[in-house]
Amino acid sequence: MDINLLFKIAAIGILVAVLHQVLVRAGREDQAMMTTLAGLVIVLSMVIQEISSLFDSVRTLFNL
Amino acid sequence: MEEIIKIIGIGLVALVIIIILKQYKPEYAIYVSIIAGILILFFAIEKLTGIIELLQSISNKTYINQQFLGILLKITGIAFLTEFAVSVCSDAGEKAIANKIEIGSKVIIITMSMPIIKSLLELIMEILP
Repeated sequence: MDINLLFKIAAIGILVAVLHQVLVRAGREDQAMMTTLAGLVIVLSMVIQEISSLFDSVRTLFNL
Repeated sequence: MEEIIKIIGIGLVALVIIIILKQYKPEYAIYVSIIAGILILFFAIEKLTGIIELLQSISNKTYINQQFLGILLKITGIAFLTEFAVSVCSDAGEKAIANKIEIGSKVIIITMSMPIIKSLLELIMEILP
């Protein structure tokens, strides 16, 4: 729950971008699409965890 | 003083990361902005706990109805979350969704504040001859 979460997402993004380019150059467009989707799903699960913890803390704080 | 430096630092770091990511993978930029927003909101939430305890202690002393303070806190919480969602949606370019969220939260807030309005009207009725 700190700044390194930002760096983790940036690293995944750049890694997927590089992988995408490499796979596209190697002529495997479908696998490139797969890796992009996989990266998106991973980052989405991390973001959803953070959003749920935000909602829980707001709910307990304002006893919603 | 320490808190504000942390908040500004996170905002600027996220800004730099978003600019880099926008060229290669624009869809990741939205995630980075969401996460930065959440981190900054967590700092705000830590500060809010003290304020809310102060409010509750003051309301215990005075004759303010405890239920109304509960409703006020709920409405503040709803506004807090709605503002977060609206800014994320409009930042991503989806103004329509942002407006729908805004309308929805306004309706919820009005329905929650019905008891307060009702008791206010009753009070006015008593005062008027």
